[in-house]
Amino acid sequence: MKRVLVVDDASFMRMSISMMLKKHNFEIIGEAENGVEGVRKYKELKPDIVTMDITMPEMSGIEALKQIREYDPKANVIMITAMGQEILVREAVMNGAKSFLVKPFKEEQLINVFNKLLGV
Amino acid sequence: MAGQYGNEPMMEMFLFETSQLIEQLEQLIISCEKSDHYTEDTINEIFRIMHTIKGSSAMMMQDSITAISHSMEDLFYFLRENKQKVVDNSAISDLVLEGVDLIKEELEKLKNGEKADGNTSELQDRIKNFLSDLKVDTSSEAAAERKNLENEKQQYYLSMDKKKNDASKYKNAFKATIRYEEDCEMENIRAYTIVHNVYDITDEFFHIPENLIDDDESAKKIRQEGFQIYLKTDSSYEEVREFFMQTLFLKELKLDQIENSEYDQLRDAKKKITDKEKFISSKDFEEHSEGNKETQAMSLKQNVISVNMTKLDKLMDLVGEMVISEDMVIQNPDLKGLELENFQKAARQLQKISSEIQDIVMSIRMVPLSATFLKMHRIVRDMSKKLGKKVDLKIIGEETEVDKNVIEHISDPIIHLVRNAIDHGIEFPEERLEKNKPETGTVTLEAKNAGNDVLVIVKDDGRGLNKEKILKKARENGLLYKAEEEMSEREIYNMIFLPGFSTKDNVTEFSGRGVGMDVVVKNIETIGGSVSIDSTPDKGSVITLKIPLTLAIIDGMNIRVGSSYYTIPTISIRESFKPQENDIFSDPNGNEMIMVRGQCYPILRLHELLKVKTDITRFNDGIITIAEQDERTVCIFSDELIGQQQVVVKALPEYIRRLNKTKALAGCTLLGDGSISLILDITGLANLKGLA
Repeated sequence: MKRVLVVDDASFMRMSISMMLKKHNFEIIGEAENGVEGVRKYKELKPDIVTMDITMPEMSGIEALKQIREYDPKANVIMITAMGQEILVREAVMNGAKSFLVKPFKEEQLINVFNKLLGV
Repeated sequence: MAGQYGNEPMMEMFLFETSQLIEQLEQLIISCEKSDHYTEDTINEIFRIMHTIKGSSAMMMQDSITAISHSMEDLFYFLRENKQKVVDNSAISDLVLEGVDLIKEELEKLKNGEKADGNTSELQDRIKNFLSDLKVDTSSEAAAERKNLENEKQQYYLSMDKKKNDASKYKNAFKATIRYEEDCEMENIRAYTIVHNVYDITDEFFHIPENLIDDDESAKKIRQEGFQIYLKTDSSYEEVREFFMQTLFLKELKLDQIENSEYDQLRDAKKKITDKEKFISSKDFEEHSEGNKETQAMSLKQNVISVNMTKLDKLMDLVGEMVISEDMVIQNPDLKGLELENFQKAARQLQKISSEIQDIVMSIRMVPLSATFLKMHRIVRDMSKKLGKKVDLKIIGEETEVDKNVIEHISDPIIHLVRNAIDHGIEFPEERLEKNKPETGTVTLEAKNAGNDVLVIVKDDGRGLNKEKILKKARENGLLYKAEEEMSEREIYNMIFLPGFSTKDNVTEFSGRGVGMDVVVKNIETIGGSVSIDSTPDKGSVITLKIPLTLAIIDGMNIRVGSSYYTIPTISIRESFKPQENDIFSDPNGNEMIMVRGQCYPILRLHELLKVKTDITRFNDGIITIAEQDERTVCIFSDELIGQQQVVVKALPEYIRRLNKTKALAGCTLLGDGSISLILDITGLANLKGLA
């Protein structure tokens, strides 16, 4: 089972993403509510894939992405974003985000991205 | 409250979190308004809140909430990017608070299982207009900057062009057309992802549309015509195809090999070379990432989980049942007269643990009043603005905790009292100055613990109650229950709580609405509390709500009348004794009275009042219990005392409540042997007798 870390400051989003993924047999091994925690949990849990919100307190998703990629250049990080954040998303892509999902996204979209990225 | 939106944990979480964020937002706005300044941190925080709400509501497909939070997000995005700008803070506060109200309404609809279908377009337009006005103001300053930026860009392009022209080292040329799945959104950025990755196979390429980031139209163009990328590379067709197939959200890929010459032609025709995005003012990025780092405003680390309220209610019920069954076991009639040392020991242990559980369950349900109190800032703000009065709200003891159910019942009454205080209590600034009072009135909201009760005090330094006016009104409405001259000041003031009483000459927008103080009293009484009032002309009024800490379990004294059992809350019992027949005398109206230590009390025969058959009607055979609540005393005559016990208060069933016109009953409970006991309402009994 592929192991996922969900980083988002909104517990609603964490819950939504986790529920969608669990249905498709992904294992949610951790959740984090800001960038700092996200980076820490990444190092601790070494997940196969991370979903990362961009706008978060303490440390933004982009900064967290940078730090995670620095620690593990092969990290699979998917950004969770919303309309209006084009420039931030571009920055994320430049910094090695594997893909991004634009809220509101559908379950299939999330799962497709996961499967494709993990080569399932 | 919770749980009625069924088993939709997502919806529940959405409502919970969004309501919390909205409340947080409201507080932020109000505190900013007070200091008349939006700090950078707060702007970031507000932006983040709106952003989160927008995202979550979009996921839940609540378009109205998404729309309104989106336009507010835009507004605060602008404010964040234009920090030095002087703006009309109060206009912003008004707009945002309107938005907050709208979202609240929509959330309320969702909570009630309705559709959130509010019309947001009007407010959206206003926010948009406000924003474009702001933008016009800044545009002149910005124009100069933009020009500089463009010049810089131009230079980059030139250098890039040069490099491109020199490079023609690749053998193969391809044309790829990529179409994305519908509603994958941000097609332009997705295309940019390809551009970013295509460096893995080549550095010679260009694409249409060429400006992927700054041109909002590019996403639309890609949606309609697909994203075209031309490249030269050493990789084979298969390899290039493999590369493009990795694209996420890919719907269709069309890959053709073309002649090198064709590539050059097309490129020259296009002239402008593609991958300049890479160079677009790296300055721009820095600003953004900085902006994000700043989004650090207060986020409390919480080590808590949220629990569905219905579960807590259930737990409370179960603990109640447990207390009852514990009594059933320990006081089981089968055990009577037996010497059971070990059993007694074990029973004591059980009692100890169960009372601990009870305490914990109670404390779980305790919530500080702060949220309710802080809401009042908004009310004070709105009202003082509308009425042109100057009012300060002072909050004391907001950390005081009460049961969650209690909070739900006292929130509306407090709002009503605060509104009343501002509307009718606090004078207009000129009037206050004439009276030698500070121009700004003060409304104080205070909470404190007092034994088993919590006191909530709403105090204002306004004009106070007008005795004459109250008496006049009472006369008009036939509410006088005794001679005017016999009434104490307090009794006169208390008349404003009577149903059908209202001194308002004209109903105002705020405290009118046809509900009077009687509704406040009713609400407080349903949870076993009481309301009292004190007032001094031109000094102000004080209204005190006395609220039980918790509703569910009380210490009670069980008494028997005939074959019925009643429970008196132990806390209100002063003493019980066997009366002597000759202590009793009658007053001129034939009421039976008893003299206790020089004080006369009328006697209330429970069997008469509640029409219960009993053999014990002579005072010598029964027992008298003196109970006191809210400075009112009653002497209750019953057959015998059964004993003290913790009882779980249950609401009276509807059909008894309808019969309970006398208000002598507060609730009911189950006794250890499974029989039902009715809980007496001491205040109700005292009122019944018209006793002071």
